[in-house]
Amino acid sequence: MQQSYNFPADTAVLAKIGELVANAGRSAGFDDIEIGDIQLALDEVCTNTIIHGLKSDHSKKFQLVIQWNQGEIEILIHESGEPFDPMDLDDPNLENLLEGPSAGGLGLYFLRELMDEADFRIGRDGVKTWRIVKRKA
Amino acid sequence: MKIEENILNDVSRVSLEGRFDADTCDTVEAFIRERIEKGRSQFVLNMENVPFISSAGLRVVIIIARELRNEYQGDLHISALQPTVNKVFEISGLNNVLRIFDDAEDATLGFSK
Repeated sequence: MQQSYNFPADTAVLAKIGELVANAGRSAGFDDIEIGDIQLALDEVCTNTIIHGLKSDHSKKFQLVIQWNQGEIEILIHESGEPFDPMDLDDPNLENLLEGPSAGGLGLYFLRELMDEADFRIGRDGVKTWRIVKRKA
Repeated sequence: MKIEENILNDVSRVSLEGRFDADTCDTVEAFIRERIEKGRSQFVLNMENVPFISSAGLRVVIIIARELRNEYQGDLHISALQPTVNKVFEISGLNNVLRIFDDAEDATLGFSK
């Protein structure tokens, strides 16, 4: 199964995206905790896309593609906003979160921890694509 | 995001209802910060009705807890995490540095112990 959507760069869409991916996750056979993992990973990518990639400009859009089979879900997020490589972010210092200079980097850390695959690429046309995959354990 | 405050024994219990994400985190931060500016330093963040938290929500928790501890000799207790939200606290390691309680009553009483 595959579903494709276009959303404006507005954090108000995050709740709807969470619902959509939960429904897809259920159809693919994931349990509630696994669906929570997928929702969090996708929320982090979409937040990053909206705020850093598209600067929360509501007139700009990004594309979300969700495709799944039994026991596996793959999600693609395409946008063509400001140049930004999220892979440049450092991992957070988890031993010292309350004392460190910033609490940044947690989103990317979640992505790596919770998904089986998470990669980012910039195409020749400047379109940036996140691809995240989770498989049932 | 719906936010309610109850004050018990000088502890401000802030109950959230809804997703705690990039769309709602500023509202939560402003709500608590307004009360810090009025002199409150002991807070319970009751998350019984929060089905989802992202790093944006965690960032607010971290910033507020750090500020209360370092500048006001206060603290932020967390209560009633749903399983998926509890998992986020665990993988971030925040469960090791914050006081997390099963319910809001215990989290409030935790300030007197």
